[in-house]
Amino acid sequence: MIRMLSRILLPGAVLALASGCVTSTVDQMVFNKPTEDMSNASVVILGRRHASDYDTEPDFVECVGEHIADGDGRIHVIDELEFINTFYPWFEPRTAPLRVTDLERLMRQPPVAEKLAALKTEYMIWLDGSTERTDSAGSMTCGIGPGGGGCFGFGTWGDDAKYEATIWDFTDRAEVGRISTTASGQSYMPAVVIPIPIIAPVQGTACDGIGDQLLQFLSSGE
Amino acid sequence: MSGSMTSAPEQASLRWLALLLAMASLAACGPAEVVVKGNFPAPLMQKIPITLGVWYDDAFAHHEFFEEAKTKTESDWLVRTGEAQVQMWDTLLDGMFTRVVHMSARPGPGQMNPTVDAVLIPQVEELQYAIPAQTSVKVYEIWMRYKLQLVTTGGNPIADWTMTAYGKTPTAFLQTDQEAVNLAAVMALRDAGANFATTFTKVPAVQAFLQRKLGTPGEAAP
Repeated sequence: MIRMLSRILLPGAVLALASGCVTSTVDQMVFNKPTEDMSNASVVILGRRHASDYDTEPDFVECVGEHIADGDGRIHVIDELEFINTFYPWFEPRTAPLRVTDLERLMRQPPVAEKLAALKTEYMIWLDGSTERTDSAGSMTCGIGPGGGGCFGFGTWGDDAKYEATIWDFTDRAEVGRISTTASGQSYMPAVVIPIPIIAPVQGTACDGIGDQLLQFLSSGE
Repeated sequence: MSGSMTSAPEQASLRWLALLLAMASLAACGPAEVVVKGNFPAPLMQKIPITLGVWYDDAFAHHEFFEEAKTKTESDWLVRTGEAQVQMWDTLLDGMFTRVVHMSARPGPGQMNPTVDAVLIPQVEELQYAIPAQTSVKVYEIWMRYKLQLVTTGGNPIADWTMTAYGKTPTAFLQTDQEAVNLAAVMALRDAGANFATTFTKVPAVQAFLQRKLGTPGEAAP
């Protein structure tokens, strides 16, 4: 009985322990919350990709979108790639509006204005930032022979995530909020025959942090 | 009695194995080759009401870029962009102008060509790429410079200008060098399309041509 319990509990305990620690902070500044619910409107979340040294990762944008859609089924989140392709070439890194006032000029293109109206886009949320590897140390050697293979060593690395979400109201053509989050964590990989990754979910924590605040904002309408 | 130790099917298998090994060893000596492939969306914009002819010369339609390895550890690179160039420009021009006609020959005096308002001749003047082995940064980049000519069917110049395009793959995670270079090239082609679509009517000589043709400087981009 004890053996059976240990077989069940041990992998669970290993899995529970096999994630590194992450510290994160979230700041928000919201000016105008929605006055109506989002059941008849849609939201698009886009990543900023105009900087030369970093791009907001598409999987982070997708993660925040899924977090919002899973949290409130009434909110329709438009897929980023689908939106960018539909509105080509107006949301490419070279042409994407950087300020909310740029929307006015974009809306002067009748096909763009018509398409946006058809999609009932109420909010456009821009995510700007990235997750970067800060340091890494340690070494690991792996070998394989006729009797089997294995690894030996220890590795560690740190990740830092920094993101900011800017919320644009399409109806009022105004910026209505900013949410920023930072997260950092250290991951470890000890290896005695089998490498055991103990990964700090830095990007996932940043996604949850910013996703929760956006969800709260978008769900606050009557 | 034959002294052979293998049966006929075994010998055939051995021959195939030898052939495969020989091919594999030859392939290892060849350059890293990328035939750029991607999907390019049609632009969402008001069409310019002219009939545009387009002429892709052989160098453009079969454009490729070859770079010899500088060290023994690097491999040669062959990047074929011609097919993707034609695909992108065809899609872009179809969405930008009311009618697009492919010329049967390079415009010039006495050439038999369909009647059009003007003919666009795009050319790739220069292409550069960078992979992490060269930059020590985990980013794949493609940079292109186009020479664009707008001429009459008789070959007389209307406008002549250059345009740059840039694309990068933010991460090489789970991608081969070839896949990453392909993605960077697709991003560069999208950027070329975005740059052309938003600046075509702003080129002074093009503006003057459209003014003469339509009485307005065309649908200027925002």
